[in-house]
Amino acid sequence: MTIDQKVHTTLAELSIADAAGVEAAFTEVRAAMQAERDALLARGAASEAEREKLCKDLRDRWLARKNGILSALDENWLKAAKKELKPFVGKSFNALRQESATLETLALMMDVPLRALPESPRGIPDAGSPSSVAVQVSRETPSDLTFPGNRRPLGTLHPVTQMQREIEEIFLNLGFHIESGPEIESVYYNFDALNIPESHPSRDDWDTLYIDSKTVLRTHTSPVQIRAMEKYSAPLHIIIPGKCYRHDNPDASHSPMFHQIEGLSIAADVTFADLKGTLDFFAKRLFGEKIRTRFQPSFFPFTEPSGEVSISCIFCGGEGCRVCKESGWIEVMGCGMVHPQVLRNGGIDPKKYSGWAFGLGVDRFAMLKYDINDIQLFFQSDVRFLEQF
Amino acid sequence: MKVSVSWLKEFVEITREPRQLASDLTMIGLNVEALVAAGGDWVLDLEVTTNRPDCLNHYGVARELATRERLPLKKVEVSLKESGELAARAVSIEILDSDLCARYCGRVLRNVQVGPSPDWLVKRLEAVGQRSINNVADATNYVLMELGHPLHAFDLARLKQQKIIVRRAKPGEPLRTLDGVTRTLTRENLVIADGAYPVALAGVMGGEESEIAVSTRNVLLESAWFDPVSIRRTSKAQGLHTEASHRFERGADIQMAPLALDRAAALIQKTAGGEVLTGIVDVYPRPWQPRELTLTKLEIARLLGTEIPEPEVERILRGLGFKFVGGTRESWRVSVPSFRLDVSQEVDLVEEVARHVGYDRLPARVRPAPPRVEKDTTREKVITVSSLLASLGFHEMIASSMVDPVEGEEFSNSQPVLLANPLSQDASALRTSAIPGMLRAIRWNLDRGAVDVKLFELGKTYSIVNGAPEEHCVLSLGTTGHRRPASVYDGEAELSFFDLKGDLETVLGTFEAPEWEFEPTAHTYLQPGASGRLRTRGEELVVFGLIQEDLAREYKLRRPVWTAEINFGRLLEFPLRARKFQAISKFPAVERDFSLVVPDNVAYALLAAAIAGAATEELRSFRPVDRFRGGAIPAGHYSLLLRATFQSQAHTLTSEEIASLSQHLLDALEPLGVRLRG
Repeated sequence: MTIDQKVHTTLAELSIADAAGVEAAFTEVRAAMQAERDALLARGAASEAEREKLCKDLRDRWLARKNGILSALDENWLKAAKKELKPFVGKSFNALRQESATLETLALMMDVPLRALPESPRGIPDAGSPSSVAVQVSRETPSDLTFPGNRRPLGTLHPVTQMQREIEEIFLNLGFHIESGPEIESVYYNFDALNIPESHPSRDDWDTLYIDSKTVLRTHTSPVQIRAMEKYSAPLHIIIPGKCYRHDNPDASHSPMFHQIEGLSIAADVTFADLKGTLDFFAKRLFGEKIRTRFQPSFFPFTEPSGEVSISCIFCGGEGCRVCKESGWIEVMGCGMVHPQVLRNGGIDPKKYSGWAFGLGVDRFAMLKYDINDIQLFFQSDVRFLEQF
Repeated sequence: MKVSVSWLKEFVEITREPRQLASDLTMIGLNVEALVAAGGDWVLDLEVTTNRPDCLNHYGVARELATRERLPLKKVEVSLKESGELAARAVSIEILDSDLCARYCGRVLRNVQVGPSPDWLVKRLEAVGQRSINNVADATNYVLMELGHPLHAFDLARLKQQKIIVRRAKPGEPLRTLDGVTRTLTRENLVIADGAYPVALAGVMGGEESEIAVSTRNVLLESAWFDPVSIRRTSKAQGLHTEASHRFERGADIQMAPLALDRAAALIQKTAGGEVLTGIVDVYPRPWQPRELTLTKLEIARLLGTEIPEPEVERILRGLGFKFVGGTRESWRVSVPSFRLDVSQEVDLVEEVARHVGYDRLPARVRPAPPRVEKDTTREKVITVSSLLASLGFHEMIASSMVDPVEGEEFSNSQPVLLANPLSQDASALRTSAIPGMLRAIRWNLDRGAVDVKLFELGKTYSIVNGAPEEHCVLSLGTTGHRRPASVYDGEAELSFFDLKGDLETVLGTFEAPEWEFEPTAHTYLQPGASGRLRTRGEELVVFGLIQEDLAREYKLRRPVWTAEINFGRLLEFPLRARKFQAISKFPAVERDFSLVVPDNVAYALLAAAIAGAATEELRSFRPVDRFRGGAIPAGHYSLLLRATFQSQAHTLTSEEIASLSQHLLDALEPLGVRLRG
């Protein structure tokens, strides 16, 4: 029985009574359609007129409303199918109909009038048929499919950038926004406005790189606190990432250039409880829920009260190890309530507003998180290092 | 600051284990950096912050501990035997510059026997890191460690006219200090002079001339209070940092001066014999006025977020030496002790309370800030670009901003920002270009066996513009090696100019930037013929290409290196490309290949512009697919295979329409001498 005969016969008459039978029947029809199409493509056309005629004939044979093969299938196989077989027939029929769309554009594939370079690739409309996929499989492809996949080399973001982004995300989610300021900073913003007068020994806590007597490379991101207060006044909830510089000779734990993130939160009802709660939340989000934080008093001229935050050692869980020097705690950042004089210097009334602030070293956080023992690795640009992140 | 536990025990009866003691001290702000057992004693290494000079001695630390452990603090006991003669007869003391010296106390000792200190004294000093000198000098050091007040001992016989004059130095006046250095003084420096010359740099270091020697019999002991700022200036100007200057510049306790003097005199009497003359010569032109502050209960709650029980507040402040001198139902009037120069505002009292309540006992809460409507577009752009570059295979790097000032000369005309006190010549200027750092990074990797290196950096360059420093955001790219390494799937292919150009086009394509144009000329550090720049509205946005040969040699690059500099600050001013849906045509697209013969002098950009200029709605896109020379192609020409896509939004294009569209495209190229290959 030819295909043409089959499609004019009902499934019942063909003794097809199950899903497998339906599928086999449709596969046969599909194969016939592809074979006719491929044969036509292989044959080609001598002229435009001939091409048009050949394509039209094939289209009509399969797709014509009257007497087309697909119409016949609709009548004899689908509509006449038994109720229990209908879903299978419908599914296969739809797939076949989709595939038959390739017959519509056949003419476009068949003839390339300016085919000067026969080996040049031709536009292949997405036929989605198994045969066209098979054509694309290259001869050089090993037939051994256990060969590794053909991966394209990916680059990486610097670990300090990744750490910075991760920290930023946590505070962005808390409603903070990101501020920035210059690295070449005036002595006023870097020190004086932060309550660090030249006449006080606390100025010596920052080993400073000077451009001239009034200009420095900022030793911390804190000057942006004042700049932001001047710019936005209160309330203010910001974090400030950026490069900072110190007159430190480079070694495994010091770099004259490093990265800080400063946080500042000023509002009418901000208290030390907000400072503690937020930084504890931050530490847990960053290092894990089990992390505990410890706050101990410290001194910074721009905060009062001032504190130092330690986290329970992320390596030993607080039992004591090499990293935490057997103490169970790792000091990670400085913090405190913004000093009233600093608020005043930023044009904010300390009677109406209070604030808290923190500062942390991004490089140090990245070293902790990724267990890196030498800060110099960050700035050597060694691909063997960078590609690990 | 080293502190001996047994010494502390003389003032407070601690029973805590040393380890627990260390933790307690840390939790009140005296961070213990080390705890060392030493001959039956324990020594704590305390990190004392610059605001707490009162804790730079055992008595001060004992006061903190007593408050923390709720133990009494013992008084400093001095048993001193004075003899008949009045000290004021033996020496005269005068303060000329009382703005810099508020108090000067002196005691005179006669017939002392200078010699080695007894063992217990030597051991105690050694335990806290002090070297024993002789029994007189050791007594002053002992008191320094115990009570924190710097003292100085003069050989009285060496003081001309038995006189002490506290005054500013005369310009150019010389003084040979104890370290053997002859110093030239200025009006800035306060000195202790005798009847003729300076004999000590006040509060910093004594002079060699009047130093205590074995032959010394009569001693003048000095216990004074100098202005912190003046001491700091002198110490900095002379480059001389001493135990004394360290304390005076932080602020010594003016009321401690006589007690410290007595304590030292008693100690010398005990270890070196002699007699202590009657009385202290106490010149006190600017007597201390206790500072009074108001501490309101509301302020404690406002800053700490909780109320602290009143008896607790009072216990803490009292323990720390504050006196309650009045108050209301809502507040206390507090008198600040003379040793707490750091406490000058109400908030400082709040900190004292918080410290001793314990930060860990204070409440915690986390509240998000009010949400913001504004989007952080800069961050979005930075993330977009850096993620894209990582997807294109570039590793992000961070290079030092500080470089050798000469290295930028070949890469930029900008005037570098120079550092006044650089760490080294190699790091004495801020970089004017990111390219030298990029080249060093690539060399570093090539030298370590890497072949294919792709790096990018998003950072800044710095320069002096109109006399003022400026910072510029730059994105720099550096690549060397292969487009792809050899594998079973592909052969290896060397990187070309167009790989870098393509990556740059991809990056710029994420922005809604105005059309950029390419110019095949670039800076001299790049190889002509393999470099260029992208401009937008006449403004240079990108410079890129192959590093010029001589430079490559200079930087010892073993392989060709491609770099790009993008003016990122400018790029950030453009918005990211807006996503707008373009209706997809329901009708099929048709590709047509045109095999063109192009004269060599017609640049592709020209050809593309001609097509774009004459483009019809149906010409959806076109691109070069292949090109070759030779064969039947006439000399001075090359063959270009151009692939165009035609599509209509309205109907399926007929063969006739496609033929006409193709002809239209060819017509647009004709004036350029570009024709279809016959």
